[in-house]
Amino acid sequence: MTGLISDIQRASLHDGYGIRTTVFFKGCPLSCSWCHNPECIDTKPQMLFYPEKCIGCGMCDEGCYAGAKVVCGKEMTAEEVLSEVSRDISYYSGGGGVTFSGGEPFMQADFLRECIALCKNAGIGCAAETSMIYFNEDIFRSLDFVMTDFKILDSDTHKKHTGVLNEVIKENFVRLNTLGIPIIARTPVIPEIDQKIDKISEFLQSLDNVVKYELLPYHPLGKAKAAALGIDTVHFTTPTKEQMKELNKYAFIR
Amino acid sequence: MLSYADRLRAMRKTKIVHTFEKKKQNGHTDLDDFGTVPVTPEYDVDPWYNSSNGSFYGYDGMSENFCRVIDAHEPYVDPMEMLCGRWRDMLINYRGDIHFMPDWLKEKKKNTEFLASITDQWAKSWDEQRFPYDELKPLQEKYNIQTGIDSDAHFACDYRIGFELGFGGFLDKIEKYRKINPDKSAFYDAEEKVVRAIIRFVDRHIDEIKRMIPEENRPEIKENLEEMLKTCEAVRLGAPKTLREACQWTAFFNCASRIYTRDGAGFQLDTLLLPFYENDVKNGILDDETAKFLIANLLLIDPHYYQISGIDENDRDMTSHLSYLILDAADSLNIACNLTVRVHENCDRKFLRRAVYYLLKNKNGWPRFCNDKALAEGYMRTGADKKTARERIAVGCNWMAVPGKEFPMNDVVKINIAKVLDESLKDMKNEENKSTERLFEIYNAHLKKAVEVTAAGINLHLDHQWEVTPELVMNLMMHNTLERGEDISRCAELYTVGIDGAGLAVVADSFGALKARVENEGVLTWDQVYDALENNFDNERVRLILNSAPKYCQGGTVSDEWAKKLTESWVSTVRGQKMPEGRQLVPGWFSWARTIEYGSKVGATPNGRRAGEPISHGANPNPRFRVDGAPTAQSCGIASVQCGYGNTAPLQIEFDPCVAADENGIDIIERFIIAHFEQGGTLININVLDGDTLARAHENPELYPDLVVRVTGFTAYFATLSPQFRQLVVERFLHGV
Repeated sequence: MTGLISDIQRASLHDGYGIRTTVFFKGCPLSCSWCHNPECIDTKPQMLFYPEKCIGCGMCDEGCYAGAKVVCGKEMTAEEVLSEVSRDISYYSGGGGVTFSGGEPFMQADFLRECIALCKNAGIGCAAETSMIYFNEDIFRSLDFVMTDFKILDSDTHKKHTGVLNEVIKENFVRLNTLGIPIIARTPVIPEIDQKIDKISEFLQSLDNVVKYELLPYHPLGKAKAAALGIDTVHFTTPTKEQMKELNKYAFIR
Repeated sequence: MLSYADRLRAMRKTKIVHTFEKKKQNGHTDLDDFGTVPVTPEYDVDPWYNSSNGSFYGYDGMSENFCRVIDAHEPYVDPMEMLCGRWRDMLINYRGDIHFMPDWLKEKKKNTEFLASITDQWAKSWDEQRFPYDELKPLQEKYNIQTGIDSDAHFACDYRIGFELGFGGFLDKIEKYRKINPDKSAFYDAEEKVVRAIIRFVDRHIDEIKRMIPEENRPEIKENLEEMLKTCEAVRLGAPKTLREACQWTAFFNCASRIYTRDGAGFQLDTLLLPFYENDVKNGILDDETAKFLIANLLLIDPHYYQISGIDENDRDMTSHLSYLILDAADSLNIACNLTVRVHENCDRKFLRRAVYYLLKNKNGWPRFCNDKALAEGYMRTGADKKTARERIAVGCNWMAVPGKEFPMNDVVKINIAKVLDESLKDMKNEENKSTERLFEIYNAHLKKAVEVTAAGINLHLDHQWEVTPELVMNLMMHNTLERGEDISRCAELYTVGIDGAGLAVVADSFGALKARVENEGVLTWDQVYDALENNFDNERVRLILNSAPKYCQGGTVSDEWAKKLTESWVSTVRGQKMPEGRQLVPGWFSWARTIEYGSKVGATPNGRRAGEPISHGANPNPRFRVDGAPTAQSCGIASVQCGYGNTAPLQIEFDPCVAADENGIDIIERFIIAHFEQGGTLININVLDGDTLARAHENPELYPDLVVRVTGFTAYFATLSPQFRQLVVERFLHGV
């Protein structure tokens, strides 16, 4: 079996615990208008084009070496993923490990299951970063912790900006909570959208296993990749430090 | 009343003023700060030349000129400080070699005239009239070898000797052995002259303090000056008895050794100062706040390489309460600082975490970390016993030394392997059957010649250093020297001579690119590659094809494999070189701060590097080796190219982990350090920097007068570096984290 992987990044220090390697799965059923990994939405390999890197050699067909045309999406076996993830095995002790992210890793559930099994067998801690649109209990049970977004409280607004209603997501939060798996919940803060972060926080506080609720300021890093994919993007602003300070009263750590 | 914190603020302010004044006097210096203070307008030296080539050498030349330079030094007493003494200038500046002369000295009229009058073609640092090596020069130039001929210092004193004897004790010891070795009078005359000059240096400070006391109105500062006076009077001849005396004695000795040839190295700071600290505490004359302030003063005087923590020969952790105080002291001062924390399996994790905390909190490039297991076990492979291996401490940019016993010439002998590759490519050009394997064969043959000629240079140097630049100051705290009447370059117990390769990533990536693009993928032919190299990549596409090939430190790449293969070849060639008189060569990977200079000698290379561009730094990968800039990838790669005999291939890393100096941030960096060492890494020269600050400081260095970066092993004020060198530091910064 193979999975479609868009990238593997080593030394991820800000998602979850310890030093981690992040495996980005390609394909996501959501299409958030602020998505910072737009190259991970489509379920097929895609070409990204960065015109500023093009040297105009006119030899695109023979391969681009300038970094102007970059293919995103590589078929990999779980063994190949493990091999890459194992490179940093010395750095994982103390809570680190691998994070399966994306995209939506649960969209390739069988492949995800295989990757987790191999990594766990090699003694590597596993976590996933998911939109919570899917619920695979056996996979959740095999993870050390789960990172997941609660993006917008109102379901219609949620659908407007992500393409899906949030009832299932909310329901899955509750179901996941019953499994006893630590949950790190996050909200990307987008000033233009009425996300109702206070209410989201209230909801999350009602779940025993949400160990941490983080607010992440929107950043425009995904725009360059969207442009390289030829995708139009919606303009959002980055929240100010003052806005973040005000909102951070809703964040919590247990 | 001024508190210690007030006084530290004043000291830091003075330091910034000095840094900018020195920059005015010396221009950009891509060097350690060395703790110098600016020269005064009145400062003047009248050197004595004892060689017809316009230089001075040997026991008489060096001792006489040491006296002239140290005697010209005005005393330095800052009433804010607990300790006094600084250095400004060194005697080798007067050897008539304009390349080594600071700007302020060049501008002195009599020097300009003197230099203009010399028509001699000889180099001035080494006495080539008496000890020529013309037969070695063609190959030394061919392989761009830093020969070590004319180098000095780069070994470590055993400060226990000084703490036991004091300056007066040195004189007694000289007198004692002068009688036993009557044929060595030239040596003893020189040593005595040196010690007496140091005592005169102390005396001038005593006079200056006496002058200042009546003028001082602040009671606490007056009391400080009175204590300082007593301390100086005590260490003028006597051995130090209190912590303040030990630090003041060290300050005077270090000033003297720096004035000699900018030489000297630090010591195991916590262990050696511990008896003084404990005794003072027992006698009720010292509290921890004062101890911290005192040590901050010592660290201000000179950013010597001091090691702290570590493990003794019986596997006992040596971390003490004083080790913590030293870290706290460095934090209270927070300037350029070269403390190295020795890490081992059973080290005090609380202490390690404190060290990491300060690294994260201050973002000023200190402390750095070395790995006991790899260093000690490696050094034992040279034949040293466990006790000796454990005594071998971190006292230089990339290097270790056994205090008092070893003469390793560390960090002064290097072969630019990018130049060796350059020559190998030229040789293969006209061969019909080109391949990376054939290129490697030719490379190995050149490397052997390069090591042979380097060894010949080292032997010439060791045979004659005593007649050119004897180590008259450091000899005072070495074993066998005064006892036998010989310079340490002739009588050391250990001659494990360090020899570093420079340019590893350039060469590994070049072999990797050729293997991948020419042999495996067939995207380019050998002719296309040669054409591109000769035309310095006028075809950008060809350059990018090579430059985008998998690189060293990406992890599991063809270039990673070549880096290991090149390391094996480097180690076996260096270790296989026969040396006379118990000498042996010890391999490492290190370029020091010479990447720009080395690169200027090398043509275009098959990794897509254009002719003349800098070579890679030390054992580091080339900049932009991975899109994600993963520090773990760099760490794994460098751990895999260790040479295994106790010398280092340092992990030089600059990054912003964007983690706070809290439990989580400390966990991450601690794990990073431990993991590198578990994989066999030897030394981590680490900069935790704020990327935005670094970029802004590169644009406007004057606005960041106290930003310190660890350039290689040493730290420097970013604002004093040349724009070209600042650019290198900026390029090394890992942006993807």
